Amino acid sequence: MVGWSVLFPYAYLVPLLMVGSFVVVGLGGTRLRRFAGGGWIAVAAAGASMVLGVLLGVAEMLDPTYTDTHVVWLSLPATGTGTFPNGFELVMGTLVDPLSGLMLLVVTIVGFLVLVYSLGYMAHEKGLPRYFAELSLFLAAMNGLVLADNLFEFFVFWELVGVCSYFLIGFFYEKPSAASAAKEAFLVTRVGDVMFLLGVFLYFYVYATSGPAGGWAAHGFLFVQGSSPFLAGVMGGSTPLLTVAGLMILGGAAGKSAQFPLHVWLPDAMEGPTTVSALIHAATMVAAGVYLLAVTSLFLGFTATDDLAIVAIGGFTTFFAATMALVQPDIKRVIAYSTISQLGYMVLAVGAGFAMVGMYHLFTHAFFKALLFLAAGAVIHAVGTQDLFKMGGLRRTMRITSGVFLVGALSLSGIFPFAGFWSKDDVLSSLFGELGSHPLYWPFYLLALATVFLTGYYIFRVWFLTFSGENPRDRSLPAAHEAPGVMLVPMIVLAIFATVGGLFPFVPAFAHLLPGAGIPPSYTATDLALSALSVGLAAGGILTAWAFWGNGRVFELPAGSAAQPVRRLLLKRYYFKAGYDALGLTGVYTFARLCDFVDRYIIDGVVHGLERSFGGLSERGRRIQSGVVLDYASYVVAGVVVLLLFLLVVGPYLVATWGS
Amino acid sequence: MAVGIISVVLLTLVGGTLLTFAAGRWARYVALGTSLVFLFEAAYMLSAFVWPLPNGAGVPLYAFSETAPWVHLSWLTINYSVGVDGISLPFVLLTAILQIVTVVYTFEEDRHPAAWFGLVLLTCLGSFGVFVSLDILQFFLFWEAVLIPMFFIIGYWGGVRRRYAALKFLLYTHVASVVMLVSLFAVAFYSHAASFDFSDLYGPAQGLATTTQVVLFLGLFFGFGVKFPVVPFHTWLPDAHVEAPTGGSVLLAGLLLKLGGYGLIRWGLELLPSGLEHAAPLLYAVAFASILWGAFMSLAQRDLKKLVAYSSINHMGIVLLAIAVYSSLGVMAAVLLMFAHGIVSALLFMVSGSVHDSFGSRDIVSVNGITARTPVLATMIMIGALASLGLPALVSFPAEFSAFLATWDRLGYFVLLPLLGLVITAAFYLWMMQRLLFGPARNLPERAHDLPAHEAIAMGLLVALIVLYGILPSLLTNIIVASPIHLLP
Repeated sequence: MVGWSVLFPYAYLVPLLMVGSFVVVGLGGTRLRRFAGGGWIAVAAAGASMVLGVLLGVAEMLDPTYTDTHVVWLSLPATGTGTFPNGFELVMGTLVDPLSGLMLLVVTIVGFLVLVYSLGYMAHEKGLPRYFAELSLFLAAMNGLVLADNLFEFFVFWELVGVCSYFLIGFFYEKPSAASAAKEAFLVTRVGDVMFLLGVFLYFYVYATSGPAGGWAAHGFLFVQGSSPFLAGVMGGSTPLLTVAGLMILGGAAGKSAQFPLHVWLPDAMEGPTTVSALIHAATMVAAGVYLLAVTSLFLGFTATDDLAIVAIGGFTTFFAATMALVQPDIKRVIAYSTISQLGYMVLAVGAGFAMVGMYHLFTHAFFKALLFLAAGAVIHAVGTQDLFKMGGLRRTMRITSGVFLVGALSLSGIFPFAGFWSKDDVLSSLFGELGSHPLYWPFYLLALATVFLTGYYIFRVWFLTFSGENPRDRSLPAAHEAPGVMLVPMIVLAIFATVGGLFPFVPAFAHLLPGAGIPPSYTATDLALSALSVGLAAGGILTAWAFWGNGRVFELPAGSAAQPVRRLLLKRYYFKAGYDALGLTGVYTFARLCDFVDRYIIDGVVHGLERSFGGLSERGRRIQSGVVLDYASYVVAGVVVLLLFLLVVGPYLVATWGS
Repeated sequence: MAVGIISVVLLTLVGGTLLTFAAGRWARYVALGTSLVFLFEAAYMLSAFVWPLPNGAGVPLYAFSETAPWVHLSWLTINYSVGVDGISLPFVLLTAILQIVTVVYTFEEDRHPAAWFGLVLLTCLGSFGVFVSLDILQFFLFWEAVLIPMFFIIGYWGGVRRRYAALKFLLYTHVASVVMLVSLFAVAFYSHAASFDFSDLYGPAQGLATTTQVVLFLGLFFGFGVKFPVVPFHTWLPDAHVEAPTGGSVLLAGLLLKLGGYGLIRWGLELLPSGLEHAAPLLYAVAFASILWGAFMSLAQRDLKKLVAYSSINHMGIVLLAIAVYSSLGVMAAVLLMFAHGIVSALLFMVSGSVHDSFGSRDIVSVNGITARTPVLATMIMIGALASLGLPALVSFPAEFSAFLATWDRLGYFVLLPLLGLVITAAFYLWMMQRLLFGPARNLPERAHDLPAHEAIAMGLLVALIVLYGILPSLLTNIIVASPIHLLP
């Protein structure tokens, strides 16, 4: 049938449109004042790119094929021995498959909505062209990453989204904390990137040495459908290498998706505008780590050791981040820790072998988390503070915002029938199914289960502190007002997705985007019991939050309470940030200063010692540099004479002595 | 014999240089005209380049080659011998690019402009000569011809300690040159070649005994290594850069360092392959040391220009590593990386100069938050820093990626050492940006001006090239791989 698949080769237009927007807005700069600082251009481009992205997603639902289109980017010559005896090609292309179709839906829809919302939210900021140009570049890179058809190309766009994130976190660059947070984000993820790069080399090596006759290298290392089992098969004899490769990929993913122990940067990334937090640091870029793991698991393969490591990292992070979310006084930071925690669920699912279940949660999370951020942004926009303890009673003045925030909170908590319920439940029940064959997964399952309770608690603590009660606790706050329509409409759209998005996989066509075990969930008696348990835990969390913070109550932990040290530990983020600063900044910088000392006084000292032993370089230097051009000319002549002497006298002598 | 394109370029440059020296206050226009012609000629060479296949004896041939006997001695013939292959052609292009951007950037130079532009052109003439020479003596003459103008550029137009720096530069690199020359002569003598011509040396030199090759190679490595510069022979570089005028630094980092890398490939790797293979462990050690030392040193600097200078040591360490692994991939990576570093470091030295012009200081600890005051300059700094730390879509990335891949291919997990350097490199650039560009404005003079038009044009040209070759590196690599590196393993 002539149909949807004709679109597939044009997928590159999705990122290219945003590159166009980046160039126009970036070069147009302040001349674009009439277009909301380029905002309308970016929104138009993102709209066009969303239409194409959604069409591609729908095409994949109706015709779930793998269509690859690529060009050779760089031909590398042979190295004779080692990994690449025959040389190989680095390619750039687009792979339209169910997975990228799903991600295109998420990235282009949320991207478009956030850009629209930005028209209102950012209207009073300066530097708008910079904002819209950087956001356009981000969307270009993110869509490029989604469509990447090989690990190298994935890495290229991975780096580009990272640098966009850097610039957008540091958007308010005159604030020292923003500049510092931007640097921290880049550096911490860079550590992951280096591991990712090594992982790329390792997978190249595995491909090149263990591929079938002719080598996969001949394909440019493209992602090929069904390649994972094949690779696992051929790698039977050399599992350690594949294990290391997988661990390196996990390291890269942990950096981008802020998983333990590379999680520290994400809460600080909240220094960026809230729109950036919603799009980049909740819905899309930070999910790229999960996407990387899913892609690797489908096309390249992990070993059992890798899987256990992934489950461990994901499961631990889920709980670890949720505990820090319990006590934060800053509305955005709570949601940021929540993001880390939810990403942990996705990582957990991929590690347990359910890549598509992880992607399912990624899909629903993108919507409800973007919604939570945008709603928080509307609150911040209205009251001018991020401090939960200054807010209160905003339900009266911001009815719609409080309503959509409630939808987001219910969805995040996993309350039936909101979107988060379906996907989180699927993660937990999938993992539960694996416990029999993998008893080592038990502790991480329990951590993930306990996190459900914490999640309900911390997000409703935010809701109660912000919206319940009579009036803001800080009377000096400006009178709050509901957000303008340009901000409300994107929130309402997201709220719809956050409500019903979990049910999409029950539509058979949509389920094509999530091919794999467990989707849509089958709901046996055990599953139902587990669902009841997790909903019960979430409801318990919500009730606990109500008991402490409901109706405008503010819970003060008694000064002498045994829980105080715990609270301080959580507020201090388990001292990870302080530790990294001590090690990474103070330690490394001190070492660098030591190098500088050695360089100045020891290495250069030896040079100067030599100079003195030759009779004082500077003294002679002064005489040589007489400033008389004739003198210099005579040095040149002297040099030529020496050379000629060598050629005419010494040379023949040497030849005579040593010759034949 | 018909006069070939290379002779035409040499004549252009010689004539242009002489005219510039004589042109008085019109010097900058003569220099600009000469640079435009040179750029056009370089572009022609690039577009018309076809590398002739090696002949039966396996001796590589060169495009646009010309050979004419120059000096006949009873025992030796010295030729005028020029030609290019895929390894030298990118450097020819680099020379043309850096000449024109340097002339444009310093267009308003008012201290002895005729001498200034004449010396700039002379430096580029010498570099061009080095890259196209295929005869030892001719190579050496051009090599030395580069040092003299640079000595005067630093010594006259430089900063407070210019005399010390100029002399240190001259003596340091001159000692290295002598060792290099003696080693090259020794290669010629030991191989009993009929002439100093590369094509006569190629076969016999490669046939030398391994021990001889190693000793000769180490001599060459010292000579070229000081120029790179490699740790521990690097301390002339920061002094030279800190004191040199901006235009001088651009040429120093962009061209002069490349002479060492180019020389090591052309005269070391190609003539003495077993020497390189057996000396490789030493080269690896030196390369790793340079990469890490350069990175940590940059982290400790508070003078923007010194920070950039030490980052050159880091990048040239990666170049050395790529050469040392001795593979076609490595050589390709090394050449591409030198090209990349040439244009990126040129941009970074230009921004350092402009920061000093605008704010009277390059101290990143005391000068903060310049972005709001000089947004164009700040953007250029960001692009330069991101290019230098290896961001994809900018020119260094494909080069560094290939270099690390070549290293991984030969050395396995040792690649982690240069990768650690990558993290430190990111750290010092990010920290520099955080302090210099971001945060509240501090210590900025009221009348700080953003980039003058001619400086912005020079930097804009470099940025365009950084992006162009970052997105389409195959424009260069297709030329690089069409060269004798096919003869390598």
